[in-house]
Amino acid sequence: MVKEPAGVERRWLLVYPDAYEVGQPNQGVQILYEVLNERPAVAAERGYAPWPDMEALQREHAIPFFSLESHLPMAAFDVVGFSLSAEVGATNVLTCLDLGGVPLRAVDRSEGDPLVLAGGHAAFNPEPLAPFFDVVVAGDGEEFVLELDDLLARAQQHGWSRQALLERVARLEGAYVPALYEPVYEEAVVTGESLPRLRATRPRRSDLPERIPKRTVADLDAWPYPKRQLVPLTETVHERYAVEIFRGCTRGCRFCQAGMITRPVRERSKATIEAMVADGLASTGLEEVGLLSLSSADHSEIRGLCGDLADAYDGTKTSLSLPSTRVDAFNVELAEELSRGGRRSGLTFAPEAGTERMRAVINKHASEADMLRTAEAAYASGWRHLKLYFMIGLPTETDDDVLGIAELGLKVAAIGRQHGRKHKVTVSVGGFVPKAHTPFQWCAQDPPEEIRRKLTLLRQRVSAERNLTVRAHDPEPGLVEGLLARGDRRVADVVERAWSLGARLDGWAEHFDLGAWQRACEELGIDPAWFTQRPRDVDEALPWDHLDSGLDRDWLRDDYEDALAGRELDDCRWGSCYDCGVCLGLDLDHELAAGHGASLRASPG
Amino acid sequence: MRARVRYAKLGKLRFVSAIDLGRVWERSLRRARVPIAYSEGFHAHPKVSFPDALPLGYASVAEYAELRFTEPIDLPEAMARLNACLPEGMDVRSAVEVADGAPRLAKWLRASVWDLGYPDAAAAALPPAVRAVVEADEVLVERLRKEERTTLDLRPAIHHLSTTDDADDGVSIPTVRATLHHVEPPMRPSEVHQALDDAARRVAGVALPAPTVTTRIAQGEPTEEGLREALDGTLVPSHPENPEEATYRDRQPAARRDPGHDDIGVAHPRAHPHPHAQR
Repeated sequence: MVKEPAGVERRWLLVYPDAYEVGQPNQGVQILYEVLNERPAVAAERGYAPWPDMEALQREHAIPFFSLESHLPMAAFDVVGFSLSAEVGATNVLTCLDLGGVPLRAVDRSEGDPLVLAGGHAAFNPEPLAPFFDVVVAGDGEEFVLELDDLLARAQQHGWSRQALLERVARLEGAYVPALYEPVYEEAVVTGESLPRLRATRPRRSDLPERIPKRTVADLDAWPYPKRQLVPLTETVHERYAVEIFRGCTRGCRFCQAGMITRPVRERSKATIEAMVADGLASTGLEEVGLLSLSSADHSEIRGLCGDLADAYDGTKTSLSLPSTRVDAFNVELAEELSRGGRRSGLTFAPEAGTERMRAVINKHASEADMLRTAEAAYASGWRHLKLYFMIGLPTETDDDVLGIAELGLKVAAIGRQHGRKHKVTVSVGGFVPKAHTPFQWCAQDPPEEIRRKLTLLRQRVSAERNLTVRAHDPEPGLVEGLLARGDRRVADVVERAWSLGARLDGWAEHFDLGAWQRACEELGIDPAWFTQRPRDVDEALPWDHLDSGLDRDWLRDDYEDALAGRELDDCRWGSCYDCGVCLGLDLDHELAAGHGASLRASPG
Repeated sequence: MRARVRYAKLGKLRFVSAIDLGRVWERSLRRARVPIAYSEGFHAHPKVSFPDALPLGYASVAEYAELRFTEPIDLPEAMARLNACLPEGMDVRSAVEVADGAPRLAKWLRASVWDLGYPDAAAAALPPAVRAVVEADEVLVERLRKEERTTLDLRPAIHHLSTTDDADDGVSIPTVRATLHHVEPPMRPSEVHQALDDAARRVAGVALPAPTVTTRIAQGEPTEEGLREALDGTLVPSHPENPEEATYRDRQPAARRDPGHDDIGVAHPRAHPHPHAQR
């Protein structure tokens, strides 16, 4: 990837707006980094958010935000692309831009400034950050960055102005240029509410699409990246050779934004995965392989894949891991295969909710009997520590549902004790934050004090059980996450104000500063509860309506109603199509490695 | 089979900690397909050990590692392969096979030669400061540890201290070479700088700017003429060398590397002046 200097014409800076140790393993950045660098005329470099002590030193010595590779200042790049994996990176984006000497708001940028781009899951509701970006793209970035790069080349060739370039970018499929769209608010305020509701977000010009479609790469085998995964020299959160075995998910968990916005399922073939693993391990020297996806046990060839990989690396020092959200015996079977003769210390499951009723609401298919059988199988196979993931604050949740988490944890602990006196169970609890483009996008979020009360309830119930540990984060950052997840463009002022009041690295408990956010909201007359804790009308305009995730709004509403009625929905990868809108809209089908998706399911309608 | 190697840690690798460096070794050995032995047990780790740790931030051409292989190997060939897989800034510069039961390597590492490379502005102040430190009976330096300030005498640790003769030539880097005994507690080059700065203030009334890069040049047995390097016995002079005469501090191996995998930041050389770069 070292380039002849003479050939480089366009420079991309890919920024993950969090610390290096968190951002370095990010697959999205690594994929785009490679895809762009394969072009001889492009140099893509990376950047990460500075820790506050580094930021202070940079400001003291007037050192701008610079790239990791060449230490080039941000302003020397043609494009600065931010990967928005999580909402709480918002203030870090502003830190990076400001340190880079790039005006925070798109409207203040001029000809010489880089084009500021954003993508990633959190870009599916870009509005709270819309004024800070020139371009936003929702969905898969591989093809889009190359199309944008083609446009840049033409812009350089023809000397287009910034405005001329942006107008052309806006016509690229999937490009959202916030400056060319305008949110319109109602004139009257609904009685009892603090802000006028949104009427619509409209294009400022008639030749622009009213709704911007997400981008979807149909064939993952055609994009086998990263081929040359970067090996960190300083410790990061995930040190493994990671292969994305499929994109998309059809389990239909109603709380899960990732599962909703990445449909349809596109599996990588077993042959491609095995080749990527072999090449990846040989060239990186990493000692762990992660088979990644939203629910890896669901790959249509997972059994054969795990068997082959376990055979290939048996007796080597290479370990295999398979993050999975399923809660059934099959998971244990796969985990057994992958840890043949190896260490079996901890195994993780995600029941997500404590009672059958609550699990029906969120569409997490798992009966209690299933889960207890799974726990039994896991302890019997030699695991000594099970971790169970749950959420609290889910729609329709009662105290009984919260206590159900405790009861389930206690039952699992009791099973563990039959296998060993010191066998443990950890119950990990997160506060639910409703997200855009999900059936729960209309739901009210529990305020932090309610989450705290429920946590206390849960903790009290299990306090006598020594083999059970409850893990939970402070609920306050969830308030900011919720505001950013479902806020509209008016929230951008709050973000900038909170940042100028010192909000930094909001995803880190030691840095999160609720006071800065509260003060910013008060000064600007924005009540965060109006965005987060107010149940929204199903026909109310939503700030992300103009971004098309492919999901039919009527389907989302039906699924929301099914949720409230406790009606479950099958996985459409195997069951019948329930017409969520994605496959038809994209003219795609679930792409399964084993055979063809179309033959496995009934045709819609 | 066991081997002892001397390796360099230069450039951005200066900022990789001793703990992280263990993983760098493991992954590089795996990439090079060198048959390194692993410990038994669930937490198997490769049999690579280090006699001491280089403090973070210092460069070195004189670090050591001891490796154990699962089978006899052609050492020079394996080290050449390893060098092609080590990150930029790191390379093995000599390797010797050792017999089982050989005395511990640490036993031979009695002193270190350090080069403190100063900015040009320090050139005039260095010779008198060095003289003052050498002539003193006691050189007190302060050390802050866990908010507790202690005073230590650096002088007994100094085996030799000298500086570039004519650093004013505008070409060579003003350098102080310090040969320090490995004493308890260990004395660091930063404390040599502290002593030189104190001396410069006292003698000439000027502060000494901090060295830009400090490099460990050799470790071994201190002698009258210098220091005898631990692995191959080369005599390293106690006076800073002219770059042309520096036989010991060999240059980077010529082999071209593939820097694609190690995340030290792959440099893309600059193109023609960038339109935005002036601002």
